[in-house]
Amino acid sequence: MFRTALLRSARQAICAAPRCQAPIARPVARSFLQSKQTPPAACFQAVRCYSAHAGLAKQEVEGRIMDLLKNFDKVTDTTKLNGEAHFHNDLGLDSLDTVEVVMAIEEEFSIEIPDKEADAIHSVKQAVDYILAQPDAH
Amino acid sequence: MAKLSGLQRDVLKLYRQCIRAVRLKPDDTRENFRAFAREEFRKNVAMDKKDFGTIEYLLRRGRRQLEIYQDEGIRNIAR
Repeated sequence: MFRTALLRSARQAICAAPRCQAPIARPVARSFLQSKQTPPAACFQAVRCYSAHAGLAKQEVEGRIMDLLKNFDKVTDTTKLNGEAHFHNDLGLDSLDTVEVVMAIEEEFSIEIPDKEADAIHSVKQAVDYILAQPDAH
Repeated sequence: MAKLSGLQRDVLKLYRQCIRAVRLKPDDTRENFRAFAREEFRKNVAMDKKDFGTIEYLLRRGRRQLEIYQDEGIRNIAR
Protein backbone atom coordinates (compact mmCIF):
# COMPACT_ATOMS: atom_id res chain seq x y z
CA MET A 1 0.00 0.00 0.00
CA PHE A 2 2.86 2.31 0.83
CA ARG A 3 4.49 1.42 -2.44
CA THR A 4 1.42 2.24 -4.51
CA ALA A 5 1.05 5.55 -2.72
CA LEU A 6 4.63 6.35 -3.48
CA LEU A 7 4.25 5.42 -7.13
CA ARG A 8 1.10 7.45 -7.45
CA SER A 9 2.59 10.51 -5.90
CA ALA A 10 5.63 10.12 -8.11
CA ARG A 11 3.47 9.90 -11.20
CA GLN A 12 1.51 12.91 -10.08
CA ALA A 13 4.71 14.81 -9.53
CA ILE A 14 5.95 13.93 -13.01
CA CYS A 15 2.67 15.07 -14.55
CA ALA A 16 2.61 18.19 -12.45
CA ALA A 17 6.20 19.08 -13.01
CA PRO A 18 5.96 20.45 -16.55
CA ARG A 19 2.75 22.19 -15.66
CA CYS A 20 4.25 24.13 -12.81
CA GLN A 21 7.60 24.47 -14.42
CA ALA A 22 6.21 26.16 -17.49
CA PRO A 23 4.92 29.30 -15.76
CA ILE A 24 8.12 29.57 -13.76
CA ALA A 25 10.44 28.94 -16.64
CA ARG A 26 8.83 31.43 -18.97
CA PRO A 27 9.24 34.57 -16.91
CA VAL A 28 12.83 33.59 -16.12
CA ALA A 29 13.59 33.15 -19.77
CA ARG A 30 11.86 36.36 -20.64
CA SER A 31 13.65 38.40 -17.99
CA PHE A 32 16.92 36.85 -19.05
CA LEU A 33 16.28 37.90 -22.60
CA GLN A 34 15.17 41.32 -21.54
CA SER A 35 18.24 41.95 -19.45
CA LYS A 36 20.33 40.82 -22.37
CA GLN A 37 18.54 43.17 -24.71
CA THR A 38 18.37 46.32 -22.65
CA PRO A 39 21.94 46.96 -21.54
CA PRO A 40 24.09 44.88 -23.86
CA ALA A 41 26.83 47.48 -24.14
CA ALA A 42 27.21 47.80 -20.38
CA CYS A 43 27.51 44.05 -19.98
CA PHE A 44 30.14 43.81 -22.65
CA GLN A 45 32.23 46.61 -21.27
CA ALA A 46 32.26 45.26 -17.78
CA VAL A 47 33.54 41.95 -19.10
CA ARG A 48 36.16 43.60 -21.24
CA CYS A 49 37.48 45.77 -18.47
CA TYR A 50 38.38 42.77 -16.40
CA SER A 51 39.55 40.29 -18.96
CA ALA A 52 40.91 41.93 -22.03
CA HIS A 53 44.46 43.07 -21.63
CA ALA A 54 45.51 44.73 -24.80
CA GLY A 55 49.22 44.06 -24.26
CA LEU A 56 51.94 46.35 -25.43
CA ALA A 57 52.40 47.36 -29.02
CA LYS A 58 55.83 46.83 -30.50
CA GLN A 59 56.07 50.48 -31.44
CA GLU A 60 55.30 51.66 -27.94
CA VAL A 61 57.85 49.33 -26.37
CA GLU A 62 60.48 50.43 -28.85
CA GLY A 63 59.67 54.09 -28.27
CA ARG A 64 59.95 53.77 -24.52
CA ILE A 65 63.26 51.94 -24.73
CA MET A 66 64.63 54.53 -27.16
CA ASP A 67 63.57 57.39 -24.88
CA LEU A 68 65.26 55.66 -22.02
CA LEU A 69 68.47 55.30 -24.03
CA LYS A 70 68.27 58.89 -25.21
CA ASN A 71 68.24 60.03 -21.60
CA PHE A 72 71.05 57.69 -20.62
CA ASP A 73 74.14 59.84 -20.10
CA LYS A 74 76.54 57.29 -21.57
CA VAL A 75 74.87 57.37 -24.96
CA THR A 76 76.60 60.26 -26.66
CA ASP A 77 75.86 59.58 -30.31
CA THR A 78 72.07 59.49 -30.60
CA THR A 79 72.18 59.46 -34.40
CA LYS A 80 73.00 55.76 -34.31
CA LEU A 81 70.06 55.07 -32.05
CA ASN A 82 67.43 53.01 -33.88
CA GLY A 83 65.38 49.89 -33.47
CA GLU A 84 68.28 47.66 -34.42
CA ALA A 85 71.06 49.43 -32.50
CA HIS A 86 73.51 47.22 -30.66
CA PHE A 87 74.45 48.53 -27.22
CA HIS A 88 78.16 47.86 -27.63
CA ASN A 89 78.83 48.06 -31.37
CA ASP A 90 76.58 51.02 -32.20
CA LEU A 91 76.15 52.93 -28.97
CA GLY A 92 79.59 52.31 -27.51
CA LEU A 93 78.34 51.00 -24.18
CA ASP A 94 80.42 48.53 -22.19
CA SER A 95 79.11 45.60 -20.18
CA LEU A 96 78.54 47.70 -17.04
CA ASP A 97 76.52 50.24 -19.03
CA THR A 98 74.53 47.43 -20.58
CA VAL A 99 73.63 46.19 -17.11
CA GLU A 100 72.47 49.71 -16.25
CA VAL A 101 70.35 49.91 -19.39
CA VAL A 102 68.75 46.52 -18.79
CA MET A 103 68.02 47.47 -15.18
CA ALA A 104 66.46 50.72 -16.36
CA ILE A 105 64.29 48.76 -18.79
CA GLU A 106 63.31 46.48 -15.92
CA GLU A 107 62.21 49.50 -13.90
CA GLU A 108 60.42 51.12 -16.84
CA PHE A 109 58.22 48.10 -17.53
CA SER A 110 57.98 47.07 -13.86
CA ILE A 111 59.15 43.53 -14.34
CA GLU A 112 62.08 41.54 -13.03
CA ILE A 113 64.43 40.13 -15.62
CA PRO A 114 66.33 37.07 -14.40
CA ASP A 115 70.13 37.28 -14.69
CA LYS A 116 70.34 34.70 -17.44
CA GLU A 117 67.91 36.58 -19.69
CA ALA A 118 69.42 39.91 -18.76
CA ASP A 119 72.84 38.68 -19.88
CA ALA A 120 71.43 37.88 -23.30
CA ILE A 121 70.09 41.37 -24.03
CA HIS A 122 72.65 43.27 -26.09
CA SER A 123 70.58 45.35 -28.47
CA VAL A 124 67.42 47.41 -28.69
CA LYS A 125 65.79 44.69 -30.80
CA GLN A 126 66.55 41.96 -28.26
CA ALA A 127 65.16 44.12 -25.47
CA VAL A 128 61.96 44.85 -27.41
CA ASP A 129 61.47 41.17 -28.22
CA TYR A 130 62.02 40.22 -24.62
CA ILE A 131 59.50 42.77 -23.33
CA LEU A 132 56.91 41.72 -25.91
CA ALA A 133 57.28 38.12 -24.73
CA GLN A 134 56.49 39.14 -21.13
CA PRO A 135 52.77 39.04 -20.34
CA ASP A 136 53.08 41.16 -17.19
CA ALA A 137 55.19 43.95 -18.63
CA HIS A 138 53.39 47.27 -18.68
CA MET B 1 80.24 41.75 -27.30
CA ALA B 2 82.69 38.98 -26.57
CA LYS B 3 81.51 36.05 -24.55
CA LEU B 4 81.97 36.82 -20.88
CA SER B 5 83.81 34.61 -18.44
CA GLY B 6 82.14 33.28 -15.32
CA LEU B 7 84.00 35.78 -13.18
CA GLN B 8 82.92 38.67 -15.41
CA ARG B 9 79.33 37.51 -15.12
CA ASP B 10 79.72 37.44 -11.34
CA VAL B 11 80.81 41.06 -11.44
CA LEU B 12 77.80 42.02 -13.56
CA LYS B 13 75.57 40.06 -11.22
CA LEU B 14 76.87 42.01 -8.24
CA TYR B 15 76.36 45.26 -10.14
CA ARG B 16 72.79 44.24 -10.87
CA GLN B 17 72.20 43.47 -7.19
CA CYS B 18 73.61 46.89 -6.31
CA ILE B 19 71.27 48.67 -8.73
CA ARG B 20 68.32 46.72 -7.35
CA ALA B 21 69.33 47.67 -3.82
CA VAL B 22 69.57 51.32 -4.84
CA ARG B 23 65.87 51.29 -5.74
CA LEU B 24 64.97 50.65 -2.12
CA LYS B 25 66.70 53.81 -0.92
CA PRO B 26 64.75 57.04 -0.27
CA ASP B 27 63.83 59.02 -3.39
CA ASP B 28 65.90 62.09 -2.60
CA THR B 29 69.19 60.28 -2.00
CA ARG B 30 68.80 57.46 -4.51
CA GLU B 31 70.99 59.17 -7.08
CA ASN B 32 73.85 59.40 -4.60
CA PHE B 33 73.74 55.66 -4.06
CA ARG B 34 73.52 55.03 -7.77
CA ALA B 35 76.51 57.26 -8.47
CA PHE B 36 78.45 55.63 -5.66
CA ALA B 37 77.88 52.12 -7.02
CA ARG B 38 78.77 53.26 -10.49
CA GLU B 39 82.01 54.86 -9.32
CA GLU B 40 83.03 51.87 -7.26
CA PHE B 41 82.71 49.60 -10.27
CA ARG B 42 84.33 52.09 -12.63
CA LYS B 43 87.36 52.43 -10.38
CA ASN B 44 88.54 48.97 -11.36
CA VAL B 45 87.24 48.85 -14.89
CA ALA B 46 90.78 48.64 -16.27
CA MET B 47 91.57 45.56 -14.18
CA ASP B 48 93.29 42.77 -16.08
CA LYS B 49 90.64 40.11 -16.53
CA LYS B 50 93.20 37.37 -15.85
CA ASP B 51 93.97 38.75 -12.40
CA PHE B 52 91.60 36.34 -10.72
CA GLY B 53 92.90 36.78 -7.18
CA THR B 54 92.40 40.53 -7.14
CA ILE B 55 89.01 40.37 -8.86
CA GLU B 56 87.80 37.78 -6.41
CA TYR B 57 89.01 39.90 -3.53
CA LEU B 58 87.21 42.95 -4.95
CA LEU B 59 84.06 40.90 -5.46
CA ARG B 60 84.12 39.76 -1.86
CA ARG B 61 84.67 43.31 -0.72
CA GLY B 62 81.87 44.55 -2.94
CA ARG B 63 79.42 41.97 -1.60
CA ARG B 64 80.24 42.89 1.94
CA GLN B 65 79.86 46.58 1.16
CA LEU B 66 76.50 45.92 -0.48
CA GLU B 67 75.37 44.05 2.60
CA ILE B 68 76.36 46.96 4.82
CA TYR B 69 74.80 49.67 2.65
CA GLN B 70 71.59 47.69 2.20
CA ASP B 71 70.73 48.41 5.81
CA GLU B 72 67.62 50.56 6.02
CA GLY B 73 69.33 52.78 8.59
CA ILE B 74 71.64 54.08 5.90
CA ARG B 75 69.66 56.79 4.14
CA ASN B 76 72.32 58.79 2.40
CA ILE B 77 75.84 58.38 1.18
CA ALA B 78 78.52 61.05 0.92
CA ARG B 79 81.27 60.90 -1.63
